Amino acid sequence: MALPAPQHAFDLKQTISASRLVGLWRMLTGFRGAYLLATLSLGVAAVSKTGTYLLLRRFVDHTLGNAEAMASLPWIALAFVGLALFEGGFTFLSGRLAAFTAEGIARRLRDYLFDHIQRLPFTYHDRTQTGDLIERSTSDVDALRRFFADQAIAAGRITLLFAVNLSALVMLNVKLGLFSIAVVPLIVVLSYFFFRRVSKAYEAYQEQEAKLSTTLQENLTGVRVVKAFARQAYEREKFDRDNWEKFRRGRRLLRMHAFFWPASDVLCGAQLLAGFYLAALMTMDGQITLGTYLAYAGMVVWLIFPMRNLARLIVQMSTGVVSHGRVAEIIKVEKEPLAEGRHEPVGPLRGEVVFENVAFAYDGSGRVLRDISFRCEPGQTVALLGATGSGKSSLVNLLPRFYEYTGGSLRIDGVELRDYPRHYLRRQIGIVEQEPFLFSRSVRENITYGVGREVPQEEIEAAARAAAIHDVVVGFPSGYDTLVGEKGVTLSGGQKQRVAIARTLLKDPRILILDDSTSSVDTETEAAIRAALDRLMEGRTTFIIAHRIPTVMRADLILVLEGGEIVQRGTHSELLSQPGIYRQIYQVQARIDQEVSQEVDRVLT
Amino acid sequence: MSLHDFDEEEHSGRVTGRTVLRILAQARPHWKWVLGFLLSVALVSFQDAFFTYLGKQIIDEGIAAGDRSALLRIVSLYGALILVQAVAVFTFIYLAGVLGERIQYDLRRRMFDHLQELSFSYYDRTPVGWLMARVTSDTERIAQLVTWGLLDSTWGLLNVFTAMVFMTIINWRLALVVLAILPILLLVAAQFQKRILAEFRAVRRANSRITASYNENITGVRVVKALTREEANLGEFSRLTGDMYRSSYRAAWLSALFLPAVQMVSAVALGSVVWFGGVQANAGEMTIGGIQAFIAYITLMLWPIQDLARVYAEMQHAVASAERVFALIDTRPEVVDRPGASDPGSVRGRVEFEHVDFFYEKGKPVLSDFSLTVGPGETIALVGPTGGGKSTIVNLLCRFYEPKGGVIRIGGHDYRRLSLQALQSRLGIVLQTPHLFSGTVRENIRYGRLTGSDAAVEEAARTAGAHDFIVRLEKGYETQVGEGGSLLSVGQKQLISLARAVLAQPEIFIMDEATSSVDTLTEALIQKGMEALTAGRTSFIIAHRLSTIRRADRILVIDDGRVVEMGSHAELMRVGGRYYDLYTRQFRRHLEREYDLLKMVGASA
Repeated sequence: MALPAPQHAFDLKQTISASRLVGLWRMLTGFRGAYLLATLSLGVAAVSKTGTYLLLRRFVDHTLGNAEAMASLPWIALAFVGLALFEGGFTFLSGRLAAFTAEGIARRLRDYLFDHIQRLPFTYHDRTQTGDLIERSTSDVDALRRFFADQAIAAGRITLLFAVNLSALVMLNVKLGLFSIAVVPLIVVLSYFFFRRVSKAYEAYQEQEAKLSTTLQENLTGVRVVKAFARQAYEREKFDRDNWEKFRRGRRLLRMHAFFWPASDVLCGAQLLAGFYLAALMTMDGQITLGTYLAYAGMVVWLIFPMRNLARLIVQMSTGVVSHGRVAEIIKVEKEPLAEGRHEPVGPLRGEVVFENVAFAYDGSGRVLRDISFRCEPGQTVALLGATGSGKSSLVNLLPRFYEYTGGSLRIDGVELRDYPRHYLRRQIGIVEQEPFLFSRSVRENITYGVGREVPQEEIEAAARAAAIHDVVVGFPSGYDTLVGEKGVTLSGGQKQRVAIARTLLKDPRILILDDSTSSVDTETEAAIRAALDRLMEGRTTFIIAHRIPTVMRADLILVLEGGEIVQRGTHSELLSQPGIYRQIYQVQARIDQEVSQEVDRVLT
Repeated sequence: MSLHDFDEEEHSGRVTGRTVLRILAQARPHWKWVLGFLLSVALVSFQDAFFTYLGKQIIDEGIAAGDRSALLRIVSLYGALILVQAVAVFTFIYLAGVLGERIQYDLRRRMFDHLQELSFSYYDRTPVGWLMARVTSDTERIAQLVTWGLLDSTWGLLNVFTAMVFMTIINWRLALVVLAILPILLLVAAQFQKRILAEFRAVRRANSRITASYNENITGVRVVKALTREEANLGEFSRLTGDMYRSSYRAAWLSALFLPAVQMVSAVALGSVVWFGGVQANAGEMTIGGIQAFIAYITLMLWPIQDLARVYAEMQHAVASAERVFALIDTRPEVVDRPGASDPGSVRGRVEFEHVDFFYEKGKPVLSDFSLTVGPGETIALVGPTGGGKSTIVNLLCRFYEPKGGVIRIGGHDYRRLSLQALQSRLGIVLQTPHLFSGTVRENIRYGRLTGSDAAVEEAARTAGAHDFIVRLEKGYETQVGEGGSLLSVGQKQLISLARAVLAQPEIFIMDEATSSVDTLTEALIQKGMEALTAGRTSFIIAHRLSTIRRADRILVIDDGRVVEMGSHAELMRVGGRYYDLYTRQFRRHLEREYDLLKMVGASA
């Protein structure tokens, strides 16, 4: 069967429903026909199986011992094979269709979640843990897949087998048929409660396993402390306690299973035997034929034993329903529209930025930015200075519309920022962070990441040279094809930053956002990064989040922020001539220089 | 061991006799349980076959013969056997399960105990995650092989065997027909399983790639958005889910085809039985019950054959797991007590490094020809760049490693003549990143001396300057510190680890000062605690704090595994060399922190 194209056309948002069962039903959209057919095939397979026993009945009652009918013996043998073929064929069809449905739904869901998550706004990512998102996108999706692939279909199979065989039995003999299922409700109820308890005991077991892992991990990561204090014996004892508890809980879980299975075996076996006995007596009394007895003995097995598993499936299916709820919680969140916006220029921006009384607050929380007004011409550099939490990062985060300003007016090239589509803005803005995130791909792919076109090797190297990273890269074992991250080379903070600079050079944005790093790079590297940044800033409107005076000195406009407001503005020389934070910082730095030389003098004299 | 050994890709080993024997040997201490479950499995298998035989007897001896008392006799026997069967089933589930848990317990315990003995060099080259996997998942796989693997194969073989025996008893010619079909069944099953397992492996590989992809895209969502990579990323991701879909779907429908295919082969067997059986029945050589029994026996044989390939694959996994586990257990610790190692009763004497050479990796010397003599009670500060060899000197002193050349003497004895316990139980060590264990504050301090009374613990905390903050915690000394001490601040953890070292009343004190900054008050407290500890004790401090450095009796500047400069603070300052640079830089950083300059500009460190 051909691989269906990714079905992004269907927006899974439509599956959201207050009722979980309705939600699951809507998840089936596009696969309902296949799934229905899978269920129908199961019915046909069940009927074929029952048919085999009915054929056996005919064979025993009419063919055996009947010399005239002996000629039909090969045909009957063939019919057995035929029925088996029929049953097998439809079982296969059902399995294949169910797999088609479940795998298709799972794939659609995976693709959808991946895309949905990367389009969710920052406000969502800020408050959501990565691990939790991954867990939901993988384990919960898999639980849903199993729900459709195995559990729902197996529950359907058991129900259909029961229905078909019961009808056949009742057709053969009403009394016998009804007598045979006396114990079934009891089995279903008992096993339901049993599996609910088992899943609790299993949770307790897993909890202990987690605890044991923690103890182990703490010991292994703290092996220096253990050895330093020669505490091996103590550690052994501690581990043994947790280890033994896990054994104990495992044993408890097993004891439950060891009781349940034979106990339900006895129940089912007694029912089976009572049925055999009754049927045998009825055969002797001539109420039913020998063939009927044989057919009965075959069918009754399919009536009783599968019912034990029905309860297990119901318990398992409830986890599928819970998983669906967890996935739906992600789908429910609105994503940020990337292409929406009234004004999309054909060419690049000029880079004139005007803030007018701009305000920003996260939903429901206090103001982060207040009354921000300033103006910067294309190609100018604006430096932002201020303590942690003063609003520097929030201010620059407004430009690519990572967050939406909540008051005032923010214009680029005279157009309100809100009117630009996010995609357009982000293509025009380049960001170099203090310690940029690199992907576990080759250096080459990291440099061309997000450029959105095929980049020839010469151009990559030129950018890498300009970013002062080329020499580092060619020193790697596989040059530009060297993998970055866990499975490849580990780059230092400064090296990562230079890769990001190369990446941004290729992207060639009109507006730049830089985080001036103070991370401990040695003086040589610092000079290299500085030169690379200078090349990058040429001719672009630049916003620098600055951490030291030398960076700031050359800016066209310095904004000093405090508590979300601009408290000082001007050029270096202007700010030095007025009292305020800027001069304070400058003076502190001067005083430190002085004190250092004093300290040295003190020791030396 | 190369990095490749820690790759967690597919593992399946060749099933070799020696490893299998060693795995089975794990069950030897519990041989009674093994014998018990094997006997009960044999009984279950035999009885399953016998039930079918009784079913035949009901037809032939009871119904066909019209003998009611015979019928009652057979039914009573059947009923009694159901109870026996229940006991047998209980026994094998319980014994096999408990045996499995017990073997896991034993293996985990053995590995943990062994891990406590292994040397630092082993921990240096082995990731913690890798060790964790050995202790957790590998032990589980091995236990599975010894229990369910053994059980499945025993049960399977016995089922085939007993079914063949009973069939031969009923009609040997027909049994031969079935015997002829058996190899075909095996072949079909093996071929299917091989393909299905291959697809499942592909699914697992795709799954881990998908998870990694989710992880990267979510943690790097900022970059993705900034570089507008959403479309391209979805395209790449969709290819991954496509791979997963193909393999998963193929595995699912192959599985769906497998059962019907096996059933088809058995249906052919069944058809032949009906055909030949029918002919023979008419000739009086085959009873109706006999035909019925044949049908049941063929079904009975089917189950284990279906599972055969799966059991074999699991065996392969278990063998691979076992090889890794045994490799760990067989690793000999590098630093061990020499024969005749003694305890001199004290290690207070002079510490001498004589021409010590050391390397972690051959060809990359860390220390060469390093000599140093430290008098009793002296405080030594080690300073210098990262990777210069400071930690190595300390690690050698603690005998976490031993010199590759030269001698280390304590109190005049070559320390390799002492027992590890004699040395290490008299050391007090405070690590750079303080490691705490889950538990209360009190338990963590008491780690220094397990017999320390509550009063002694508190006294130690007072000496270390930790008491004041501890009593301010919500539950005082009974406060839980969280996993790895995560509920406390870095400064608090340092104070607690100081208190721990104080309680140990060490004869030699070793400290690797933290580089991370703590508030001024905590800093002063830590300082006070250190003074208390170093007073009158031979102390080695890898120093970062100015006050520590200044207070030391001797300062050693270590670089490239050599002592570059040595002397008191004033002496070295006058030299105007490495120490001078180092000290002034440190002093500047100290002032920047003092004047809150870093806070003003929102820098992190």
